[in-house]
Amino acid sequence: MAYHTIVYLFLFLPLVLTAYQIAPRKLRRAVLVGAGYGFFWLISRKLVVFLIGTTLFTHYIGLCLTWLKQKCRMETDSCAPEGKSGIRKKYKKKEKLVLACGIILLLTVLAYLKYYNFFAHNANQLLEAVSVPLAFPAKRLVLPIGISFYTLQAIGYMADVYWEKVQTENHPGKLALFLGFFPQIMEGPISMYSQTAEALWRCDSLKGENLSRGCVRIIWGLFKKMIVADRLYLLVKAVFDHYEQYSGIVIAAAAISYTVQLYMEFSGSMDIIIGSGRMFGVVLPENFRQPFVSRNAAEFWRRWHITLGVWFKTYIFYPMSASALVKKWNRFGKKHFGKYITKLGISAICLYPVWLCNGLWHGPRWSYLFYGMYYFVILLFGIAAEPVKNGLLQRCGIKESAWYWKRLQILKTWVIIFVGELFFRAEGLSIGLKMFKSMFQNVSLHCLWDGTFLNFGLDKGDYLVIICGCLTAAVVGGIKERNLLGDGGLAKLKTPVRWSIYYALIFAVIIFGAYGVGYQQVDLIYAGF
Amino acid sequence: MRDFKDKIKRAGKTVLFFAILFALLTGMSSMLTEISKKNDNLIQSRNKSLIKIQKEPPNSIDVLILGDSLSYTSISPMQLWNRYGITSFIGGQSGQKIYETYHILKTTLENQSPKLVVIETDVLLRGRTGLGRLKDKLEEKGSYYFPIFRYHNVWKPLLMGEEYAEESYKGFMLRDTIQPYKKGEYMKKTGEKIQLSPFVTDYMEQIISLCRENDIKILLISTPSPVNYNYKKYNALKEYAQENSLDYLDMNLKVKKLDIDWKSDSLDKGDHVNLLGAQKITRYFGKYITSRYDLTDHRGDAGFEMWEREAKDYKKKTKKKVEAMQNSLRIG
Amino acid sequence: MDELMNILNGIDDSIDWENEKALIDQRLLDSFGVITLVSELEDQFSVEIDAAQMIPDNFNSAEAIYEMIQRLREK
Repeated sequence: MAYHTIVYLFLFLPLVLTAYQIAPRKLRRAVLVGAGYGFFWLISRKLVVFLIGTTLFTHYIGLCLTWLKQKCRMETDSCAPEGKSGIRKKYKKKEKLVLACGIILLLTVLAYLKYYNFFAHNANQLLEAVSVPLAFPAKRLVLPIGISFYTLQAIGYMADVYWEKVQTENHPGKLALFLGFFPQIMEGPISMYSQTAEALWRCDSLKGENLSRGCVRIIWGLFKKMIVADRLYLLVKAVFDHYEQYSGIVIAAAAISYTVQLYMEFSGSMDIIIGSGRMFGVVLPENFRQPFVSRNAAEFWRRWHITLGVWFKTYIFYPMSASALVKKWNRFGKKHFGKYITKLGISAICLYPVWLCNGLWHGPRWSYLFYGMYYFVILLFGIAAEPVKNGLLQRCGIKESAWYWKRLQILKTWVIIFVGELFFRAEGLSIGLKMFKSMFQNVSLHCLWDGTFLNFGLDKGDYLVIICGCLTAAVVGGIKERNLLGDGGLAKLKTPVRWSIYYALIFAVIIFGAYGVGYQQVDLIYAGF
Repeated sequence: MRDFKDKIKRAGKTVLFFAILFALLTGMSSMLTEISKKNDNLIQSRNKSLIKIQKEPPNSIDVLILGDSLSYTSISPMQLWNRYGITSFIGGQSGQKIYETYHILKTTLENQSPKLVVIETDVLLRGRTGLGRLKDKLEEKGSYYFPIFRYHNVWKPLLMGEEYAEESYKGFMLRDTIQPYKKGEYMKKTGEKIQLSPFVTDYMEQIISLCRENDIKILLISTPSPVNYNYKKYNALKEYAQENSLDYLDMNLKVKKLDIDWKSDSLDKGDHVNLLGAQKITRYFGKYITSRYDLTDHRGDAGFEMWEREAKDYKKKTKKKVEAMQNSLRIG
Repeated sequence: MDELMNILNGIDDSIDWENEKALIDQRLLDSFGVITLVSELEDQFSVEIDAAQMIPDNFNSAEAIYEMIQRLREK
């Protein structure tokens, strides 16, 4: 029951909303937790025990940390000033141990379920190569839905408790709500405890404004998914499934199409998810902010799958940069190599684990690891080349803010993104490399009008709709980027104008949506991660 | 007081919004249905039969045949007309599901009053479970009340000038490919039976009561198809028909009597029959229904001139096709 | 505070450190700026800035940075 299906939109969501509203305030939390576990059960059945287990485990780790902190405070209060730091150190050590246990256990479960077979396969190949008669048996492991998302949230919570950014609660219900809010289960956004737990726990009554804004957001999401993404799906699948038959422009077009498909689909489902949350009065963190106007890869990742980026930044990048290793290097580097090299070294040390994890997080595939490393190299190169670039700009008299320079940078970033997504989508690294190579063979614009593109299950009408849909999304993006409507969004407009927009959106989805005879329903891409 | 007024105003606005939405949905639905009725070439395969049957003159169809692809490959209304003057129509769809059967029947009854409804039993064997079923059911309900969901794709032919032409005679498709079925006897006697899905029987109950209300007889038929039928299914269907006192005609047990030759009459290795097979099945089927039900011979009646014309065309076409098929059999 | 200003100006003297209130949010100070800053602060004020302190609120203005240092010193 993915979020774009009618069963979710016209049955599950309204039912939960109704149950939530008529339930007395005390029971609302139970309704939401029940809806979350029910949702999980509908997709992963018995595996819901993984979510419940993770919740309870995380809850008790949190309580344990809080207890240690309290004990530490009590002991330091009642002892002489000289002994205080010793006691603090002792407790810090204990806390670290508890935190490490928590994180390691959660990661082990995730790693075992998600990566065991990948590991076994590669290990076996290695063992075979050195002819050791040992083999890891392949296992049939079923992944609970959304495990990659709720595990990150749980780890974030534990770290936040450890850092004293959030307070623990004696009742596990709040954490259960935080980890099991049904709109977020399948594909995020990965929120922090401080962002959503409070609103979920409060269980405010439904409000007309929230409901209508939530609805509009959901319809906008359907617009992106059903009008653009589900059409491009056909082209993308046709080319990527039979990549050996194509080269040149067709491959390039498929890479671009996949990027657009992924964006429309992922950000579209985010709209549905955030809209659903909004209906309950919960403001979920945004996951996209007009990624295609980014001027460089670093900015792109601050605008694309934002919550994943923020998570890595908060829980990997910052801890790394505050680590003893980096501090040592900083001192050592400054003495011996100067600022430039030092900065580059710090960047490498801190970025490497982030992008390794980013690649791994997407799944057990060499091509995902490659994808992570691809961005690692590009970002590092960007940092390394910055002084050179600035020098060049100065010499040529180009201002950083000049419009043509901006456009050029955006275009360059597009190329980086498209190539990245080509490898991301290809079935395996070797196929990705083959496709990348064939992109430069037989390049001729001829195929654009000789009907090649009409063989992918899309006709001229479909292409027209795709283009119009993308233009609409671009206009909406432009309005958002310049913040033309302010915080109130459409509410600022006069009723007739606003309603016309609503009706236009609704009927655009109904008429131009790719559903019914001749199309098939397309599963959510990110629900697979 | 002010607060209260505000609330009323807001509630009123919400109601107005949905009222307009509802009006737009119904308006556009009937508009799209009209457009589709005017030119059924705008509609793609699965939805065609529903549009075509709505185009028939009111109360002109006496026998309505429903079912999946087995229905429109096995029985030829034009052949029935030529032989008996019976007016029949096939409201079949590829892979028709039981709720679609129900809704086609319901839509048809809006301007037709058939005396007999024939249901090809393969739809009774097609059950779906869980969420998929819920999804299908919601979709079908939505499309029934707001046909805009069914016909929304007509923007494409209207805007781009494309059309989806398809030759059919009152729903029957002329199929002249021959791919023999070679696996031999498929109705091996057994006492076992399969279980019909409660989802299917629930809908069948609705279909039955709808027919009773309108004084329509129901006949279940299983057309010959080695791929889709076996004895276990036959047992279940026979029992179901008996329990609900419905007439049931199984032709898989009468393949010899029908003179079906799987070397020449199969379209795709025993899934469907081709034109040669359909002719034999229709011959038997026509005899069967005329002997059992009170059906009118409309040949020569005023208002049925269209049937005469179509029948002539059909005769010419089939004659050519049958000759070609027999030739290829002689050579091959 | 003067000591702090010296360090800040040493990192980038084109920023109006005294009046900027959104150093991180407006990306005047990037991640690497923060790292350099942290190590300088640690040396200068002999405090330990760990990952728990790495939140935008602590680095958005010179004042916030100063307050953080005071807080850590008291510990």
